This record gives sequence, C-alpha cells and structure tokens, in this order.
Amino acid sequence: MSSDLNTPTDPTHAGSDWDSDLFVDGADWESLPDAVEDDVMTINMGPQHPSTHGVLRLVLDLEGEKVLKVKPIIGYLHTGIEKNAEFRTWVQGTTFFTRMDYLAPLHNELAYCLGVEKLLGIEAPERAEAIRLILTEFNRIASHLVWLATGGMEVGAVNLMVYGFREREHILDLFESQSGLRMNHAYIRPGGLAQDVTDDFVERCEALLDYLPTRLREYEQLLSKNPIWNSRLRGVGTIDADTCLEYGITGPVLRAAGLGHDLRKTDPYCNVEQYEFDVPVHSDGDSWARYEVRLEEMRQSMRLIRQVLDKLPSSGPVMVQDKQIAWPSQQALGADGIGNSPDYIKHIMGESMEALINHFKLVTQGFTVPAGQVYSAVESPRGELGYNIVSTGTNRPYRVHVREPSFVNLQASDVMSAGHSVSDVIVVIASLDPVMGGVDR
Amino acid sequence: MATHDELVARITDAFPGVGHTVTFDELTFHLGPDQIVDVLRFCKDDTVVAAELLTDVSGVHWPAGVDVIERQPSTTGWPDHVVSREQGVIDVLYVLRSLRNGHRIRLAVRVTDVDPVVPTSLTVYPNAANFHEREVHDMFGVVFSGHPDLTRILMPEDWIGHPHRKDYPLGGVDIPYKNDKHIPPPNERDLRVVTDSHGEVVTASSDAEEVVS
Amino acid sequence: MGLEEKLPSGVLLTNLETIVNYSRSTSLWPATFGLACCAIEMMTSGASRYDLGRFGMEVFRASPRQADLMIVAGRVSNKMAPVLRRIYDQMSDPKWVLSMGVCATSGGMFNNYALVQGVDKIVPVDMYVPGCPPRPEMLIDGILKLREKIAGQTFEDQRSGMPQSLPMFDASTTTAPREASDLTRLEA
Repeated sequence: MSSDLNTPTDPTHAGSDWDSDLFVDGADWESLPDAVEDDVMTINMGPQHPSTHGVLRLVLDLEGEKVLKVKPIIGYLHTGIEKNAEFRTWVQGTTFFTRMDYLAPLHNELAYCLGVEKLLGIEAPERAEAIRLILTEFNRIASHLVWLATGGMEVGAVNLMVYGFREREHILDLFESQSGLRMNHAYIRPGGLAQDVTDDFVERCEALLDYLPTRLREYEQLLSKNPIWNSRLRGVGTIDADTCLEYGITGPVLRAAGLGHDLRKTDPYCNVEQYEFDVPVHSDGDSWARYEVRLEEMRQSMRLIRQVLDKLPSSGPVMVQDKQIAWPSQQALGADGIGNSPDYIKHIMGESMEALINHFKLVTQGFTVPAGQVYSAVESPRGELGYNIVSTGTNRPYRVHVREPSFVNLQASDVMSAGHSVSDVIVVIASLDPVMGGVDR
Repeated sequence: MATHDELVARITDAFPGVGHTVTFDELTFHLGPDQIVDVLRFCKDDTVVAAELLTDVSGVHWPAGVDVIERQPSTTGWPDHVVSREQGVIDVLYVLRSLRNGHRIRLAVRVTDVDPVVPTSLTVYPNAANFHEREVHDMFGVVFSGHPDLTRILMPEDWIGHPHRKDYPLGGVDIPYKNDKHIPPPNERDLRVVTDSHGEVVTASSDAEEVVS
Repeated sequence: MGLEEKLPSGVLLTNLETIVNYSRSTSLWPATFGLACCAIEMMTSGASRYDLGRFGMEVFRASPRQADLMIVAGRVSNKMAPVLRRIYDQMSDPKWVLSMGVCATSGGMFNNYALVQGVDKIVPVDMYVPGCPPRPEMLIDGILKLREKIAGQTFEDQRSGMPQSLPMFDASTTTAPREASDLTRLEA
C-alpha cells in the first residue's frame, strides 16, 4: 500500500498502463471507488501512546472514524518473571511476583503465598490473615483510584489525575509505614507477614477510613451527573455476561455485565467469610456500569476493612511458628536505622549455634516444599488472579504459571470496541483496566 | 457443590480411559491430546460438571534425561534432587471453573516435547483461551491445531527458541564483582600467621582480633 | 571600578551559553516513556504531592518531537528496545535521557533473556536514578542534578552529540566520550 505513494504521479499519463478513467482534474468522481466503503485504513496505536495504559499496541482497522477490528499486540513488557522464579527460592519468588501487577502488588503476593502455604499444608496465623486482608483491600482501593485517575485523564477530566493520585498517596503512606516500601512491597511471605505492623496501625487505618469516603463522594458528585462523562461512558463497550464467560473475563467487567461472581464470596480466603460486605453488580455491561461497579467496590472495601479492624486480634504472631519455614530474622529499627534487632543478633551469634545454622539455611537455601501442584486464586482489582504452582519437593519452584486477569480481559477489546469510534477505543481500554506488567509478566 | 467423587464418576463414565489424581484437595484428570476437545465439550455441557469458565491454560515441561537440582548437601544436609526421564513431556494444563456448582477441576494433557500438537480449545470455549494458547505456543512450542492466529505473543515475532522450556537458559549477563577478593572461611583465618605492630608473631587465634596494626 | 558600575541598573550581563542552558534546563519537557512500576512513581511525581510542575516539567508531551527529556521509567524488554530507539531518534536535539529505576539502569533484578540489561546499551544516558521503584523525591533529585549538568554544558558538548562526564567529577577521570559498550565493563 505504501508503495503507491512512491510511484511518481504523471499528470499526462501518456503511454502508461494506468486506468485511463482517472484524471487529476476531478471530472470522474463518480467512477472512483467509494472512498468510505472500500477503504479500510489500518492504523497503529502505541506501544508508546499517552492513552494505552502502558505498553499496549493496538492495530485498528478503521473505516473512516469507525473501528472495524482491534487487534491488541502485547509482549512489550515481557520480563520472564515466571522463568526467573524457577531459579530462586520460594520466599524470593515473592519479590518477583509482586512486580507483575504493579498497581495491586499485595494481591500478587497474597495469591502466591496462599498457594505455597497450601503446598506446605500450613495456615498463617489469624492476625496475619486479618492484616493481609486489610492491606489487600486498601490496595484494591488504591488500584481503583489509579483507574479513576488515568481513565479520567484519558477521557478528558484531567484534574481527576491529580485527585486520584492524591488520595492514593495517603494509602501509600500507610503501606510505607508498615512494610517500608510504597510499591512492590514483598511484605506478604509464605507463612504470614515479613514483620508485624506498627503500634499505630489501627489508628492510621481508621483515620484513612474517615478521610476517604468524603473524597469519593466529591468525585462522584463531579462525575456522575456530568454530561460529558455520561456521554463518553454510557453505551460504550457493551458486553453481556455470556460473552464475558466466553472470553473468560472475570472481575468488575463481569460484575458490570450482570453476573455477581467474586472470589471473596465463592472461594473465600484469609477468613473473609466471617465479614459482611456486598458485591456490586450492574446489569448494563457498558463502561458506565464498570465505573459504577468500581466506585461501589471501593466503598464495600472500606466497609470490609472497618469490620476486620474491629475484629483484629490485638496480639499474636504474624508468622507461622514452624521453625523450618518461618522467616528467621526479626527486624527492628536499630541504631543505624536498618537491620535485625540487637537481641536477635546476640542470640544467634552468641548464644545458640542451632539458631545461627537455622537462620543461615533458611535465608540462603530456603525451605523445601512438598511435591505436587496447586492452583490458588484471589480476587484482584482486575479479576481472578490465579497461580498454578508446580513443586518437585525442592527449595525452588519448578514452574509457576500466573493466570492474570488483565491478560484474559484484553482478549475482549475487539468485541467491545467494534462499531465505535477511535476515541471510544480509549474509553473501552480504560474501562477494562489492564495493567501491562500483569499482561506480559 | 459437586464432590470430587461425583465429578470423577461423571467424567470417567463418559471417558473410560481418563485417569485422575487428587492432591492437595484438587482434582486433576490426565488425558491424551486426542481426547481433550471431547472432554472439554462434555465438561461444558454436562449439568454436574458444568464448567462455564475456562480459567487457565498453561504448560509445564518435564525434560528428558537426568535432571539434577543441586542443593549443596554438604552445607544443608539435603540430598541432590535427581530425576531421570527417557522421553521429555510437556503437560498442558487446563483449569476449568464451574460458577453454578462452585468447583474447579484441572485437565492435564501430556504430549511429547518433540513436535507437540494439541487440538485447540477454541472450538468449545470460543474465545477464552486465545491468548493463553498463543502463550503456551510461544513459551513451549506446543502447536494448537485449529487456532486461527498461532503466533508469538510475548516474545518478538522473530525470536528463536521457546523460553519456558527447561533446556532454554535463563539468559542475562554474567556480573563480575569489583574487588573480587578471596575471603577465607573462619577456621582458615586461625591458621594464618598474624604479626602485631612490633613485628612479632601472634599465634593464638583468640588474640588475633585484638591485634590492630 | 569595573564595567559593572558604569552600567545602568536592570541590565544583566551573561553569555549566550548560560542563558540558553538556563532556558533549557528549567523547562525540560519529558516524553512519556513510562513502561512499568516506575511509570506509576513518575506519575505520582507529576501529581500534587511531589509536584514536578514547580520545576517546569508537568507537561508530559506524548509526541517525542515536542519533548526534550526521555525518562525511561521501567523495564525495557527486547521487544520494546527498537521502539525505544525509534522514539529517541524522533526526539529533536537537544535531548537528554534519564534512566529511572534499576531495571532501566542495569536490568534490575531481572537478569534474564527477556530484558535489555541496561537501557544505555541502546541510547546514551545522561542520568541514572536507581531504586525499585525510586521514590518521587529520588526522581526529583535526579532531575535536579540533571539540570545542573545541563546548565554546565557547553555548545561543543551538544554538537558532538555524546554526553560528557558530570562537572562534579574531577579532571582525573576520563573525559573522552563514552561508548555504550564501555558501560558494561565494571572495572574502574
């Protein structure tokens, strides 16, 4: 097609084998092929594009402004995380998997650790499970805030970018005070948590829970009756529940299409069945429904966190007490600001040779996990995040495959954007909320 | 909620050659590539198995030959893990989920790792495994016959090799460390001759720490 | 008794390089090249708490023609590498590259087949900001140091096209233009 542009135009076209009906003075427009019907343009969007949510490349077949077909091309962020985990111990795998879906890192860690714990046949202590649930639900709120921020900016409400990230900063402050990092924490380990939460954890959570609902109400007031937001989102990217199941879609997209499938209700983890919360379901299946579902999910998460905070055991271990598995170091803020607590160091260096050997073995070699395979899944903000973990009874995983919801949800971008305009493709991708780190792994 | 026994009964009644195992409270059926499409269709249409959602398609490579995972027995006391296989195989795993009955089953299709061919599941679940099968093809080399667009999805199109196979190296660069000095282990330090600031030899190892010259 | 006292007030004496470098360094426009987790931290640097707007950088231009700073934020896979190089080539001079995070600097924790072990194998990098991901304050620190470097550059540096060593290094270090392959060798 591009070679036609290079052929020199010859206004007289004498002696050429051109179609002699075509004249440049425009006398023959009736005989020209219909420019709209027969002219399908193939346009490439991305991988570097301000609105494709990361390095997603979309090849659009356009007829004028109307999209006929969308082909997503992925793999621009493929990091080989699954293969890299085969060369590390089980605990080191946490630091790798946490960087896949980087907007909800605690969910990645949680699903992996639940799988490893299933293989080991242990359960994390109750306090650890409760804290895991609190932190992952806050992570859900943070992830939906980023969705609102970036989605809003792509639709045109640029100030949402600033608001969404501003609220997320408060949640990241909480994460930083507990795990030490704002993102990619590696805080949830097989057996429990890396270390206990600080003394003011409950106060910080409650302060956050008092602050966030007012802000969410403000954003809802800003957006829900806004005519531009309504016209950009209503009726765009409609998909019904049967098509969702055909494509293997789970998460808010499926719930917005009418099917209330949530892994926290159907396959509960971290003792979530003892708390009361609703799963928001909408019946329209368009981008507006997904917006409403995600907003309501944020509120339900806050409701869930309040209940877990009330029932949080005030003391207790946060790591399983088995000496063969538990991460041995006890971190505390020492004089130089980092590292192990001085009492622990005194114990292993001075008092107990067995403790030193145990520490050494666990940190360098790691623990062994019985042979077999498990599939463990959690409800991440994007859908069902599942890990298929195969172990051969050694200190390293044999194969870990991650079933990432964004990878599966992206398959439907074709059927959701067919017939819409190019600007609606942006809205469709934004409402699917893919995270390319998870898609490509 | 269908129990494991009910599910085993339904599937083995319909497909007698299918074996099953239950490990870690999970049910896995073992079948060959010629049966997979029929079993998938049965699982989707049956009222007890009722698997509406094909959740995951993945692969595991069990290579031929002797596979040794070293675990440094001298320090850890764990023996090296040695497995030997004559024929390398790739297990293609399908995880099916029933929303009505609330259970999950896994189907394991075993193919040889030389020219593995499995019929595509897209005839039964129209679009659920499109990207998944492309990924298994990209990473393991399994050809899904009947897939409309079986091309590389995660690696560049002209990449050679299938990275998740066990005979494919991890890759990367060798990182030499600067100032890579040999640090002797503790008991070797005792045997070294240490001189103090006056040039006299200090032989007792417990005094060695106090000598700072 | 110099020329300065004879001049009327309100006149600034400078040289062309200083004034041009002042305008270049204080209004760097970043090109959006956010890839992975570091991209989120880059976005939060542009958001309200760690405001990049106070440094003149809140306009993330999507078109590389309008940008002069490429912040490579995130892991660069082998599939993405030609795209990165093409975007760098499409940027017009003067242009600078800031490699954010350890994955862009050296491959990070992913020492494997899939990633380019350091984006300086593809484009010449002016500033490396380590971290996984670097805090927004660290990114701003890197940007400010880059601004100092730009303010200290001469026109000759820009003409030759290769980044020179930072002015804060002393003269005993080499000032020859670095090749990308030099950076993979770690000896002093």
